[in-house]
Amino acid sequence: MSRSADIVAGAEQRLAAAPVPEEFEKGTSLWEDAWHRLQRNRLAMISLFVFSAIVLFCVIGPFLSPYDAEAQDLLKGAQGPSAEHWFGTDTLGRDLMVRTMEGGRISLLVGLIATLVALAIGVVYGATAGYLGGKVDATMMRIVDTLYALPFTIFVILLMVAFGRSLWLIFVAIGAVEWLSMARIVRAGVIGLKKQEFVEAAVSLGYSHTRIIVRHLIPNVLGPVIVIATLTVPAVMLLEAFLSFLGLGVQPPNASWGVLINEGQQNMEIFPWLLMFPAFFFALTLFTLNFLGDGLRDALDPKSAKD
Amino acid sequence: MSDSDTALREDFLVLENVEQHFDLGRALLTRESKGVVKAVDGISLTIREGEILGIVGESGCGKTTLSRTIMQLIRPTSGRIFLEGKELSALSDADIRAERINFQMIFQDPYASLNPRLTVFTTISEAIRTRHPDVRGEALRGRVIELLRTVGLNPAQMNRYPHEFSGGQRQRVAIARALAPEPKLVIADEPVSALDVSIQSQILNLLKRLSREMGLTMIFVSHDLSVVRYIADRIAVMYRGRIIELGRAETIVDDPRHIYTKALMSAIPQPDPRAERTRERILLEDEPPGADKSPGKDVEDDLEEVTPGHLVSTRPFERRVKEAEAPAQ
Ligand SMILES: Nc1ncnc2c1ncn2[C@@H]1O[C@H](COP(=O)(O)OP(=O)(O)OP(=O)(O)O)[C@@H](O)[C@H]1O
Ligand SMILES: [Mg+2]
Repeated sequence: MSRSADIVAGAEQRLAAAPVPEEFEKGTSLWEDAWHRLQRNRLAMISLFVFSAIVLFCVIGPFLSPYDAEAQDLLKGAQGPSAEHWFGTDTLGRDLMVRTMEGGRISLLVGLIATLVALAIGVVYGATAGYLGGKVDATMMRIVDTLYALPFTIFVILLMVAFGRSLWLIFVAIGAVEWLSMARIVRAGVIGLKKQEFVEAAVSLGYSHTRIIVRHLIPNVLGPVIVIATLTVPAVMLLEAFLSFLGLGVQPPNASWGVLINEGQQNMEIFPWLLMFPAFFFALTLFTLNFLGDGLRDALDPKSAKD
Repeated sequence: MSDSDTALREDFLVLENVEQHFDLGRALLTRESKGVVKAVDGISLTIREGEILGIVGESGCGKTTLSRTIMQLIRPTSGRIFLEGKELSALSDADIRAERINFQMIFQDPYASLNPRLTVFTTISEAIRTRHPDVRGEALRGRVIELLRTVGLNPAQMNRYPHEFSGGQRQRVAIARALAPEPKLVIADEPVSALDVSIQSQILNLLKRLSREMGLTMIFVSHDLSVVRYIADRIAVMYRGRIIELGRAETIVDDPRHIYTKALMSAIPQPDPRAERTRERILLEDEPPGADKSPGKDVEDDLEEVTPGHLVSTRPFERRVKEAEAPAQ
């Protein structure tokens, strides 16, 4: 033991005498690792590309189109796809391509904002409950359980009755429901992490509760949360479409994909393109986000990957 | 030791009858109590400044619980803990936080003890700033580099993440983090048991050297008496939440009095082949099952001083010798 001690001490002294290194190696964070793994997943990368293309199409498209989404031209009502109107026109003679783009904007916006709201509330709430534990945790999770039991549609109708219809209310209503499952996932993750020694080390260094939650716990539960968020966006878009079917969603002349699909299916036999185009983009978005979510799950947690 | 002008405190860390009992709660249906685990069951100890106290005992005897209790990661069920005369066990959570930089812990599992999302530089620099909040920029970087060198790591690798290091290197990072706040007391809980044997002696030597050079007071916990006797000045043998023998390391090794210590000693292979052949082997019966089989709270302090500084438990020991192998001829 003493011989190896000498060798080690020698190495340590040499290290101690060495000059300040000129160059520092760059480390690879777990996020970068995950990104590299995701890049090797063909389906996920294609999905990412297609989804980005859809987002660009919806966001930039209306600026490039000569038509206005609300401009009616009753003489050209319900025409099939043509060189002039690539996606055709609806019964009021509005250009369906611009309507699809604008509808996509609203659907995507609802999906993203409601998910972000859910994410922000769910992560903070779940992490706090899981970290503090005990009575605080029990009370906080009791509230979540109660909200869970509340029927969603009735909740939305109540909101609409109380505050009138608006797009913001839809964000709030959907976000308010979706954060519940986020909170549960984050809480479970934090309870698992809390026992890990690096959290005890952080406590030992006298770091504040807030700092431990924000810097040591949340970044380490974010992996599964990101996956869930990716899968929540399409779920939220479906919810919005469902609300639109009930007539509780976006109000005309605004339209989401859900509204367009609803209108389209009413004339499905005579004017099939009115259903086809919005439904195609909606379905494509749902598929790509689901594939992306699956890819992210494998990339962020390589142990769970199937291969 | 006492001849130096900087007098070392005799009562640097004092434990007074410390207990840590875990209530297992009640059964769901019958509401019957599931009992109490007495993980630490009345430990009194005084640790001198600058000494290394080894704590040995088999798995589950409460070593980690004792460490976490001293660290105030869990507050003791009863008893008092003083560091340099200040009663830690009486401080509020907020006051404890301010005291924490004075006592640090090195954890058992270097794969779990580092935040995987932070670079080594971030981990160490944040730990340094717990004591020196105003140090930043180049000065902070300089301190991190110095500290990494002290523990035998290459500072050029400080922007790496934990998963890019080996177990031994990670444990060095964990040691650097524990030293960063310039603590007076370091508790090392089985710091080498998760490492390859070839790495173990390197880390042990590092800890031994650091504690000497920095004048640290250290509690070194292990289930392995051969590891503890190498590093410790004094050894406390723990059994079922209590200390059953305490004394200078040589005394415990050469002249163990308690049958349990003897059994632990007899399990260590001797490096010298002749000594190995004549080694006495004592095998004890298995531990009786159940969370609470310890024979009640009879005497508070049951340790008896057999020779100066050598204490042995006087309470009846429930495990019989199963096999005492006479030294092979
Ligand atoms: N939070 C807890 N709740 C209930 N029981 C606990 C808790 N922590 C520890 N124990 C119990 O206390 C006893 C002592 O555990 P401890 O981890 O301190 O032992 P140890 O000596 O460190 O063992 P090892 O060598 O395996 O690390 C064990 O029986 C354990 O199951
Ligand atoms: Mg332990």
